[in-house]
Amino acid sequence: MILLEDIHKSFGTHEVLKGISGGIVQGEVLAIIGPSGSGKSTLLRSINLLETPTSGKVFVDGVCITEGRVDIEKVRTKVGMVFQQFNLFPHMTTLENVIYAPIKVKKMSRKEAETLGKNLLNKVGLGEKLHTYPPHLSGGQKQRAAIARALAMEPEAILFDEPTSALDPEMVKEVLTVIKDLAHTGITMVIVTHEMGFAREVADRVWFLDEGLLVEDSTAKSFFEAPSTSRAQGFLEKVL
Amino acid sequence: MMLDFERIWPSVPYILGGIPVTLSYTIVSVCLGFIWGALLAFCKVGHIPPLRWFADFYTSIFRGTPLLLQLILIYHASPQVIGYKFSFWEAGILTFTLNSGAYLSEHIRGGINSVDKGQMEAALSLGISYPLIMKDIILPQAIRTILPSLVNESIDLLKESALISVIGGADILWRANEVAAEKYAYFEPLIVAGLLYYILVMILTTGARLLEKKLKTS
Ligand SMILES: Nc1ncnc2c1ncn2[C@@H]1O[C@H](COP(=O)(O)OP(=O)(O)OP(=O)(O)O)[C@@H](O)[C@H]1O
Ligand SMILES: [Mg+2]
Repeated sequence: MILLEDIHKSFGTHEVLKGISGGIVQGEVLAIIGPSGSGKSTLLRSINLLETPTSGKVFVDGVCITEGRVDIEKVRTKVGMVFQQFNLFPHMTTLENVIYAPIKVKKMSRKEAETLGKNLLNKVGLGEKLHTYPPHLSGGQKQRAAIARALAMEPEAILFDEPTSALDPEMVKEVLTVIKDLAHTGITMVIVTHEMGFAREVADRVWFLDEGLLVEDSTAKSFFEAPSTSRAQGFLEKVL
Repeated sequence: MMLDFERIWPSVPYILGGIPVTLSYTIVSVCLGFIWGALLAFCKVGHIPPLRWFADFYTSIFRGTPLLLQLILIYHASPQVIGYKFSFWEAGILTFTLNSGAYLSEHIRGGINSVDKGQMEAALSLGISYPLIMKDIILPQAIRTILPSLVNESIDLLKESALISVIGGADILWRANEVAAEKYAYFEPLIVAGLLYYILVMILTTGARLLEKKLKTS
Protein backbone atom coordinates (compact mmCIF):
# COMPACT_ATOMS: atom_id res chain seq x y z
CA MET A 1 0.00 0.00 0.00
CA ILE A 2 2.90 2.29 0.79
CA LEU A 3 6.10 2.07 -1.18
CA LEU A 4 9.28 4.00 -0.53
CA GLU A 5 11.98 4.24 -3.17
CA ASP A 6 15.43 5.45 -2.22
CA ILE A 7 14.28 8.24 0.10
CA HIS A 8 16.88 10.84 0.91
CA LYS A 9 16.29 13.80 3.18
CA SER A 10 18.69 16.53 4.21
CA PHE A 11 18.20 19.49 6.48
CA GLY A 12 20.76 21.91 5.14
CA THR A 13 23.97 19.93 4.95
CA HIS A 14 22.80 17.38 7.49
CA GLU A 15 21.70 14.21 5.69
CA VAL A 16 19.11 12.57 7.91
CA LEU A 17 17.82 9.87 5.57
CA LYS A 18 20.41 8.25 3.35
CA GLY A 19 18.40 6.25 0.87
CA ILE A 20 15.59 4.21 2.32
CA SER A 21 13.49 1.76 0.32
CA GLY A 22 10.77 -0.54 1.46
CA GLY A 23 7.15 -1.49 1.12
CA ILE A 24 4.25 -1.75 3.52
CA VAL A 25 1.39 -4.08 2.69
CA GLN A 26 -2.27 -3.19 3.24
CA GLY A 27 -3.37 -4.24 6.71
CA GLU A 28 0.14 -4.77 7.98
CA VAL A 29 1.45 -3.45 11.29
CA LEU A 30 4.97 -2.11 10.93
CA ALA A 31 7.08 -0.92 13.84
CA ILE A 32 9.94 1.47 13.14
CA ILE A 33 12.55 1.43 15.83
CA GLY A 34 16.05 2.76 16.25
CA PRO A 35 18.19 5.08 18.30
CA SER A 36 17.25 8.70 18.89
CA GLY A 37 18.10 10.86 15.90
CA SER A 38 18.24 7.96 13.47
CA GLY A 39 15.57 9.55 11.29
CA LYS A 40 12.46 7.60 12.34
CA SER A 41 10.16 10.60 12.59
CA THR A 42 11.53 12.13 9.42
CA LEU A 43 10.85 8.89 7.54
CA LEU A 44 7.35 8.59 8.94
CA ARG A 45 6.56 12.20 8.08
CA SER A 46 7.78 11.62 4.54
CA ILE A 47 4.93 9.19 3.99
CA ASN A 48 2.28 11.93 4.23
CA LEU A 49 4.67 14.63 3.01
CA LEU A 50 4.80 16.61 6.22
CA GLU A 51 8.46 16.40 5.23
CA THR A 52 9.30 16.56 1.55
CA PRO A 53 12.07 14.11 0.68
CA THR A 54 15.10 15.69 -0.96
CA SER A 55 15.03 12.83 -3.47
CA GLY A 56 13.35 9.49 -3.89
CA LYS A 57 9.75 8.48 -4.45
CA VAL A 58 6.81 7.75 -2.20
CA PHE A 59 3.89 5.73 -3.56
CA VAL A 60 0.54 5.49 -1.81
CA ASP A 61 -1.93 3.04 -3.36
CA GLY A 62 0.26 2.83 -6.41
CA VAL A 63 0.28 6.58 -7.01
CA CYS A 64 3.55 8.46 -6.82
CA ILE A 65 2.95 11.40 -4.50
CA THR A 66 6.38 12.98 -4.74
CA GLU A 67 6.24 13.86 -8.44
CA GLY A 68 4.02 15.90 -10.66
CA ARG A 69 0.78 17.44 -9.58
CA VAL A 70 -0.70 15.44 -6.75
CA ASP A 71 -3.72 16.29 -4.66
CA ILE A 72 -1.81 15.90 -1.43
CA GLU A 73 -4.86 16.75 0.66
CA LYS A 74 -6.67 13.79 -0.85
CA VAL A 75 -3.71 11.52 -0.08
CA ARG A 76 -3.65 12.75 3.51
CA THR A 77 -7.28 11.79 4.01
CA LYS A 78 -6.14 8.22 3.27
CA VAL A 79 -3.15 8.33 5.61
CA GLY A 80 -3.93 9.52 9.12
CA MET A 81 -1.37 10.54 11.70
CA VAL A 82 -1.08 10.49 15.49
CA PHE A 83 1.57 12.68 17.09
CA GLN A 84 3.68 12.42 20.18
CA GLN A 85 2.29 15.72 21.46
CA PHE A 86 -1.35 14.84 20.55
CA ASN A 87 -1.88 18.19 18.80
CA LEU A 88 -5.59 18.32 19.53
CA PHE A 89 -7.21 21.63 18.64
CA PRO A 90 -7.56 23.28 22.05
CA HIS A 91 -10.41 25.60 21.08
CA MET A 92 -12.68 22.75 20.03
CA THR A 93 -14.38 20.14 22.18
CA THR A 94 -13.32 16.52 21.87
CA LEU A 95 -16.25 15.79 19.59
CA GLU A 96 -15.61 18.86 17.45
CA ASN A 97 -11.98 17.82 17.11
CA VAL A 98 -13.13 14.48 15.76
CA ILE A 99 -15.86 15.67 13.39
CA TYR A 100 -14.27 18.81 11.97
CA ALA A 101 -12.35 17.14 9.15
CA PRO A 102 -15.09 14.68 8.15
CA ILE A 103 -17.47 17.62 7.79
CA LYS A 104 -15.12 20.09 6.14
CA VAL A 105 -12.96 17.78 4.09
CA LYS A 106 -15.19 14.82 3.36
CA LYS A 107 -18.36 16.96 3.23
CA MET A 108 -20.13 14.58 5.56
CA SER A 109 -23.37 15.91 7.03
CA ARG A 110 -23.03 17.17 10.60
CA LYS A 111 -25.50 14.60 11.84
CA GLU A 112 -23.72 11.71 10.22
CA ALA A 113 -20.36 13.00 11.45
CA GLU A 114 -21.65 13.32 15.00
CA THR A 115 -22.87 9.74 15.00
CA LEU A 116 -19.52 8.59 13.68
CA GLY A 117 -17.62 10.79 16.16
CA LYS A 118 -19.62 9.59 19.15
CA ASN A 119 -19.12 5.98 18.12
CA LEU A 120 -15.39 6.42 17.79
CA LEU A 121 -15.06 8.29 21.06
CA ASN A 122 -17.08 5.60 22.78
CA LYS A 123 -14.76 3.03 21.31
CA VAL A 124 -11.68 4.72 22.74
CA GLY A 125 -13.41 5.12 26.10
CA LEU A 126 -14.20 8.83 25.88
CA GLY A 127 -17.96 8.63 25.61
CA GLU A 128 -18.22 10.79 28.73
CA LYS A 129 -15.89 13.47 27.40
CA LEU A 130 -17.60 14.49 24.17
CA HIS A 131 -18.00 18.11 25.17
CA THR A 132 -14.81 18.53 27.15
CA TYR A 133 -12.07 20.81 25.88
CA PRO A 134 -8.63 19.23 25.46
CA PRO A 135 -6.92 21.26 28.22
CA HIS A 136 -9.22 19.46 30.66
CA LEU A 137 -8.24 15.98 29.48
CA SER A 138 -5.40 13.86 30.82
CA GLY A 139 -2.54 12.95 28.51
CA GLY A 140 -3.90 9.48 27.91
CA GLN A 141 -7.35 10.83 27.15
CA LYS A 142 -5.88 13.39 24.76
CA GLN A 143 -4.03 10.74 22.84
CA ARG A 144 -7.08 8.52 22.64
CA ALA A 145 -9.09 11.46 21.34
CA ALA A 146 -6.35 12.14 18.79
CA ILE A 147 -6.58 8.55 17.61
CA ALA A 148 -10.34 8.88 17.26
CA ARG A 149 -9.81 12.09 15.29
CA ALA A 150 -7.49 10.32 12.85
CA LEU A 151 -9.88 7.37 12.53
CA ALA A 152 -12.82 9.63 11.78
CA MET A 153 -11.42 10.19 8.30
CA GLU A 154 -11.62 6.43 7.79
CA PRO A 155 -8.05 6.28 6.53
CA GLU A 156 -6.49 3.26 4.91
CA ALA A 157 -3.34 3.74 6.91
CA ILE A 158 -2.41 5.47 10.12
CA LEU A 159 1.02 6.71 11.18
CA PHE A 160 1.95 6.86 14.85
CA ASP A 161 4.98 8.88 15.92
CA GLU A 162 5.88 7.75 19.43
CA PRO A 163 2.27 7.89 20.59
CA THR A 164 3.12 7.17 24.21
CA SER A 165 6.41 9.01 24.69
CA ALA A 166 4.84 12.15 26.12
CA LEU A 167 2.64 10.27 28.58
CA ASP A 168 3.01 9.60 32.27
CA PRO A 169 3.80 5.90 32.77
CA GLU A 170 0.40 5.07 34.24
CA MET A 171 -1.33 6.28 31.06
CA VAL A 172 0.78 4.40 28.56
CA LYS A 173 -1.23 1.22 28.86
CA GLU A 174 -4.64 2.72 28.05
CA VAL A 175 -3.28 4.20 24.83
CA LEU A 176 -1.42 1.06 23.81
CA THR A 177 -4.60 -0.94 24.38
CA VAL A 178 -6.49 1.29 21.97
CA ILE A 179 -3.75 0.90 19.37
CA LYS A 180 -3.63 -2.86 19.87
CA ASP A 181 -7.38 -3.14 19.37
CA LEU A 182 -6.96 -1.35 16.07
CA ALA A 183 -4.21 -3.61 14.81
CA HIS A 184 -5.15 -6.30 12.29
CA THR A 185 -8.58 -4.86 11.62
CA GLY A 186 -7.62 -4.13 8.02
CA ILE A 187 -6.03 -0.74 8.56
CA THR A 188 -2.34 -0.37 7.77
CA MET A 189 -0.33 0.84 10.75
CA VAL A 190 3.15 2.31 10.90
CA ILE A 191 4.30 2.90 14.45
CA VAL A 192 7.48 4.63 15.55
CA THR A 193 7.98 3.49 19.11
CA HIS A 194 10.42 2.95 21.93
CA GLU A 195 8.06 0.44 23.56
CA MET A 196 9.83 -2.78 22.61
CA GLY A 197 7.40 -5.09 24.38
CA PHE A 198 4.53 -3.48 22.54
CA ALA A 199 6.32 -3.64 19.17
CA ARG A 200 7.08 -7.30 19.71
CA GLU A 201 3.47 -8.04 20.60
CA VAL A 202 1.55 -6.19 17.86
CA ALA A 203 3.92 -5.64 14.96
CA ASP A 204 4.10 -7.99 12.02
CA ARG A 205 7.31 -6.47 10.84
CA VAL A 206 10.07 -4.29 12.17
CA TRP A 207 12.26 -1.75 10.46
CA PHE A 208 15.40 -0.97 12.36
CA LEU A 209 16.82 2.43 11.44
CA ASP A 210 20.28 3.64 12.31
CA GLU A 211 21.95 6.83 11.13
CA GLY A 212 19.51 7.34 8.32
CA LEU A 213 19.73 3.83 6.91
CA LEU A 214 17.26 0.98 7.00
CA VAL A 215 19.61 -1.49 8.61
CA GLU A 216 17.18 -4.31 9.14
CA ASP A 217 13.77 -5.20 7.71
CA SER A 218 12.42 -8.43 9.15
CA THR A 219 9.45 -10.03 10.83
CA ALA A 220 8.94 -8.95 14.41
CA LYS A 221 9.51 -12.47 15.60
CA SER A 222 12.87 -12.94 13.95
CA PHE A 223 13.97 -9.39 14.76
CA PHE A 224 13.44 -9.74 18.48
CA GLU A 225 14.60 -13.34 18.71
CA ALA A 226 17.62 -13.15 16.49
CA PRO A 227 18.48 -9.78 14.94
CA SER A 228 20.67 -10.36 11.93
CA THR A 229 22.86 -7.26 12.19
CA SER A 230 25.25 -6.45 14.98
CA ARG A 231 23.91 -2.88 15.17
CA ALA A 232 20.41 -4.14 15.89
CA GLN A 233 21.82 -6.60 18.41
CA GLY A 234 23.67 -3.82 20.15
CA PHE A 235 20.57 -1.63 20.19
CA LEU A 236 18.35 -4.35 21.61
CA GLU A 237 20.86 -5.22 24.30
CA LYS A 238 20.83 -1.60 25.40
CA VAL A 239 17.05 -1.13 25.50
CA LEU A 240 15.79 -4.51 26.68
CA MET B 1 -5.45 85.07 27.40
CA MET B 2 -9.18 85.09 27.18
CA LEU B 3 -11.12 81.86 27.00
CA ASP B 4 -14.77 81.98 26.28
CA PHE B 5 -16.41 78.61 26.00
CA GLU B 6 -19.85 80.16 26.21
CA ARG B 7 -19.44 81.68 22.80
CA ILE B 8 -18.92 78.32 21.14
CA TRP B 9 -21.40 76.46 23.33
CA PRO B 10 -24.14 76.49 20.67
CA SER B 11 -21.69 74.91 18.22
CA VAL B 12 -20.78 72.02 20.49
CA PRO B 13 -23.54 69.72 19.20
CA TYR B 14 -22.21 70.35 15.72
CA ILE B 15 -18.76 69.21 16.78
CA LEU B 16 -20.27 66.24 18.61
CA GLY B 17 -21.84 65.29 15.30
CA GLY B 18 -18.34 64.46 14.16
CA ILE B 19 -18.15 61.54 16.60
CA PRO B 20 -20.12 59.10 14.44
CA VAL B 21 -18.12 60.23 11.44
CA THR B 22 -14.79 59.68 13.17
CA LEU B 23 -15.96 56.39 14.65
CA SER B 24 -17.29 55.11 11.36
CA TYR B 25 -13.95 55.76 9.66
CA THR B 26 -12.18 54.01 12.50
CA ILE B 27 -14.43 51.01 12.89
CA VAL B 28 -14.96 50.27 9.21
CA SER B 29 -11.26 50.69 8.46
CA VAL B 30 -10.11 48.51 11.34
CA CYS B 31 -12.56 45.75 10.40
CA LEU B 32 -11.64 45.82 6.72
CA GLY B 33 -7.99 46.34 7.66
CA PHE B 34 -8.14 43.24 9.83
CA ILE B 35 -9.44 41.11 6.97
CA TRP B 36 -6.88 42.59 4.57
CA GLY B 37 -4.13 42.23 7.18
CA ALA B 38 -5.09 38.61 7.77
CA LEU B 39 -4.85 37.87 4.04
CA LEU B 40 -1.46 39.57 3.90
CA ALA B 41 -0.32 37.61 6.95
CA PHE B 42 -1.42 34.33 5.32
CA CYS B 43 0.73 35.28 2.33
CA LYS B 44 3.66 36.04 4.62
CA VAL B 45 3.58 32.73 6.47
CA GLY B 46 2.60 30.72 3.39
CA HIS B 47 4.80 28.79 1.03
CA ILE B 48 4.28 30.73 -2.17
CA PRO B 49 7.32 33.01 -2.57
CA PRO B 50 5.78 35.61 -4.93
CA LEU B 51 2.89 36.16 -2.52
CA ARG B 52 5.32 36.45 0.36
CA TRP B 53 7.44 38.99 -1.50
CA PHE B 54 4.38 40.98 -2.45
CA ALA B 55 3.08 41.05 1.13
CA ASP B 56 6.45 42.07 2.54
CA PHE B 57 6.97 44.74 -0.09
CA TYR B 58 3.46 46.06 0.37
CA THR B 59 3.92 46.30 4.12
CA SER B 60 7.21 48.13 3.86
CA ILE B 61 5.71 50.68 1.46
CA PHE B 62 2.73 51.46 3.65
CA ARG B 63 4.79 51.57 6.82
CA GLY B 64 7.57 53.53 5.17
CA THR B 65 5.55 56.49 3.88
CA PRO B 66 3.39 59.06 5.66
CA LEU B 67 -0.27 58.20 6.02
CA LEU B 68 -1.15 61.75 5.00
CA LEU B 69 0.72 61.29 1.74
CA GLN B 70 -1.12 58.03 1.09
CA LEU B 71 -4.43 59.69 1.75
CA ILE B 72 -3.80 62.67 -0.51
CA LEU B 73 -2.39 60.45 -3.20
CA ILE B 74 -5.43 58.19 -3.20
CA TYR B 75 -7.88 61.07 -3.04
CA HIS B 76 -6.30 63.46 -5.53
CA ALA B 77 -4.36 61.16 -7.80
CA SER B 78 -6.90 58.42 -8.32
CA PRO B 79 -8.95 60.22 -11.00
CA GLN B 80 -5.79 60.63 -13.04
CA VAL B 81 -4.84 56.97 -12.74
CA ILE B 82 -8.08 55.02 -12.65
CA GLY B 83 -10.45 57.64 -13.99
CA TYR B 84 -12.67 57.56 -10.93
CA LYS B 85 -12.92 60.16 -8.23
CA PHE B 86 -13.34 58.75 -4.75
CA SER B 87 -15.55 60.56 -2.27
CA PHE B 88 -13.90 61.65 1.04
CA TRP B 89 -15.50 58.66 2.62
CA GLU B 90 -14.26 56.17 0.04
CA ALA B 91 -10.76 57.64 -0.10
CA GLY B 92 -10.57 57.71 3.70
CA ILE B 93 -11.79 54.18 4.20
CA LEU B 94 -9.60 52.87 1.41
CA THR B 95 -6.46 54.57 2.68
CA PHE B 96 -6.98 53.68 6.32
CA THR B 97 -7.82 50.09 5.39
CA LEU B 98 -4.77 49.67 3.19
CA ASN B 99 -2.59 51.29 5.83
CA SER B 100 -3.89 49.49 8.90
CA GLY B 101 -3.86 46.24 6.92
CA ALA B 102 -0.10 46.65 6.59
CA TYR B 103 0.41 47.22 10.31
CA LEU B 104 -2.07 44.56 11.39
CA SER B 105 -0.57 41.97 9.06
CA GLU B 106 2.63 42.12 11.09
CA HIS B 107 0.75 41.56 14.34
CA ILE B 108 -1.34 38.79 12.82
CA ARG B 109 1.80 37.16 11.47
CA GLY B 110 3.25 37.24 14.97
CA GLY B 111 0.07 35.74 16.39
CA ILE B 112 0.08 32.96 13.82
CA ASN B 113 3.71 32.16 14.57
CA SER B 114 2.91 31.98 18.26
CA VAL B 115 0.58 29.02 17.66
CA ASP B 116 2.32 25.69 18.21
CA LYS B 117 3.40 24.27 14.86
CA GLY B 118 1.97 20.89 15.80
CA GLN B 119 -1.45 22.43 15.20
CA MET B 120 -0.64 23.07 11.57
CA GLU B 121 0.82 19.59 11.18
CA ALA B 122 -2.18 17.88 12.75
CA ALA B 123 -4.53 19.85 10.53
CA LEU B 124 -2.47 19.12 7.42
CA SER B 125 -2.39 15.42 8.28
CA LEU B 126 -6.19 15.40 8.22
CA GLY B 127 -6.21 16.70 4.66
CA ILE B 128 -7.60 20.11 5.60
CA SER B 129 -6.83 22.84 3.07
CA TYR B 130 -4.53 25.73 3.93
CA PRO B 131 -7.18 28.48 3.91
CA LEU B 132 -9.46 26.45 6.19
CA ILE B 133 -6.59 25.65 8.55
CA MET B 134 -5.81 29.33 8.85
CA LYS B 135 -9.40 30.37 9.36
CA ASP B 136 -10.64 27.63 11.68
CA ILE B 137 -7.56 26.26 13.44
CA ILE B 138 -4.75 28.79 13.55
CA LEU B 139 -6.48 32.18 13.64
CA PRO B 140 -8.87 31.36 16.51
CA GLN B 141 -5.83 30.43 18.60
CA ALA B 142 -3.77 33.37 17.43
CA ILE B 143 -6.50 35.87 18.24
CA ARG B 144 -5.50 36.01 21.89
CA THR B 145 -2.12 37.41 20.95
CA ILE B 146 -3.55 39.57 18.18
CA LEU B 147 -6.42 41.18 20.06
CA PRO B 148 -4.38 43.66 22.13
CA SER B 149 -2.63 44.93 19.02
CA LEU B 150 -5.95 45.17 17.25
CA VAL B 151 -7.15 47.52 19.98
CA ASN B 152 -3.94 49.54 19.77
CA GLU B 153 -4.38 49.83 16.04
CA SER B 154 -7.94 51.05 16.60
CA ILE B 155 -6.67 53.71 18.97
CA ASP B 156 -4.01 54.83 16.52
CA LEU B 157 -6.49 54.91 13.72
CA LEU B 158 -9.03 56.80 15.77
CA LYS B 159 -6.49 59.56 16.19
CA GLU B 160 -5.08 59.37 12.70
CA SER B 161 -8.53 59.46 11.17
CA ALA B 162 -8.34 63.19 11.90
CA LEU B 163 -6.28 63.39 8.73
CA ILE B 164 -9.51 62.94 6.82
CA SER B 165 -10.30 66.56 7.65
CA VAL B 166 -7.47 67.57 5.35
CA ILE B 167 -9.37 66.36 2.32
CA GLY B 168 -12.69 67.53 3.71
CA GLY B 169 -14.31 64.65 5.59
CA ALA B 170 -16.65 66.14 8.20
CA ASP B 171 -15.13 64.44 11.24
CA ILE B 172 -14.56 65.86 14.71
CA LEU B 173 -11.47 67.87 13.79
CA TRP B 174 -12.93 69.25 10.58
CA ARG B 175 -16.04 70.45 12.38
CA ALA B 176 -13.99 72.03 15.15
CA ASN B 177 -12.03 73.87 12.48
CA GLU B 178 -15.22 75.07 10.84
CA VAL B 179 -16.49 76.43 14.12
CA ALA B 180 -13.13 78.06 14.76
CA ALA B 181 -13.16 79.82 11.43
CA GLU B 182 -16.69 80.96 11.82
CA LYS B 183 -16.29 82.33 15.36
CA TYR B 184 -12.70 83.55 14.98
CA ALA B 185 -11.83 81.48 18.04
CA TYR B 186 -9.41 78.63 17.68
CA PHE B 187 -8.59 77.55 21.15
CA GLU B 188 -12.00 76.60 22.45
CA PRO B 189 -13.32 74.43 19.61
CA LEU B 190 -10.00 72.65 19.26
CA ILE B 191 -9.96 71.97 22.98
CA VAL B 192 -13.43 70.47 22.66
CA ALA B 193 -12.23 68.31 19.77
CA GLY B 194 -9.15 67.23 21.71
CA LEU B 195 -11.29 66.33 24.68
CA LEU B 196 -13.57 64.23 22.50
CA TYR B 197 -10.68 62.30 21.02
CA TYR B 198 -9.23 61.80 24.46
CA ILE B 199 -12.48 60.46 25.89
CA LEU B 200 -12.97 58.07 22.98
CA VAL B 201 -9.43 56.78 23.34
CA MET B 202 -9.90 56.31 27.08
CA ILE B 203 -13.07 54.31 26.50
CA LEU B 204 -11.25 52.07 24.05
CA THR B 205 -8.29 51.66 26.39
CA THR B 206 -10.48 50.70 29.31
CA GLY B 207 -12.43 48.27 27.17
CA ALA B 208 -9.18 46.75 25.99
CA ARG B 209 -7.95 46.31 29.53
CA LEU B 210 -11.14 44.56 30.59
CA LEU B 211 -10.95 42.35 27.55
CA GLU B 212 -7.36 41.42 28.22
CA LYS B 213 -8.20 40.54 31.78
CA LYS B 214 -11.03 38.34 30.59
CA LEU B 215 -8.79 36.63 28.06
CA LYS B 216 -6.22 35.93 30.71
CA THR B 217 -8.70 34.23 33.01
CA SER B 218 -10.45 32.15 30.33
N1 LIG C 1 13.08 20.39 10.78
C1 LIG C 1 14.34 20.01 11.02
N2 LIG C 1 15.38 20.84 10.78
C2 LIG C 1 16.65 20.46 11.00
N3 LIG C 1 17.00 19.26 11.47
C3 LIG C 1 16.03 18.37 11.74
C4 LIG C 1 14.64 18.70 11.53
N4 LIG C 1 13.90 17.63 11.87
C5 LIG C 1 14.77 16.67 12.28
N5 LIG C 1 16.04 17.12 12.21
C6 LIG C 1 17.24 16.35 12.54
O1 LIG C 1 17.18 15.13 11.87
C7 LIG C 1 17.70 14.06 12.67
C8 LIG C 1 16.70 12.95 12.73
O2 LIG C 1 15.54 13.43 13.36
P1 LIG C 1 14.28 12.53 13.63
O3 LIG C 1 13.33 13.35 14.38
O4 LIG C 1 13.82 11.93 12.35
O5 LIG C 1 14.89 11.38 14.54
P2 LIG C 1 14.14 10.28 15.37
O6 LIG C 1 14.73 8.99 14.96
O7 LIG C 1 12.68 10.44 15.25
O8 LIG C 1 14.60 10.59 16.84
P3 LIG C 1 13.80 10.53 18.23
O9 LIG C 1 13.79 9.10 18.64
O10 LIG C 1 14.60 11.37 19.14
O11 LIG C 1 12.43 11.07 17.96
C9 LIG C 1 18.03 14.69 14.01
O12 LIG C 1 19.43 14.90 14.06
C10 LIG C 1 17.30 16.00 14.00
O13 LIG C 1 18.01 16.96 14.72
MG1 LIG D 1 11.10 11.10 16.54
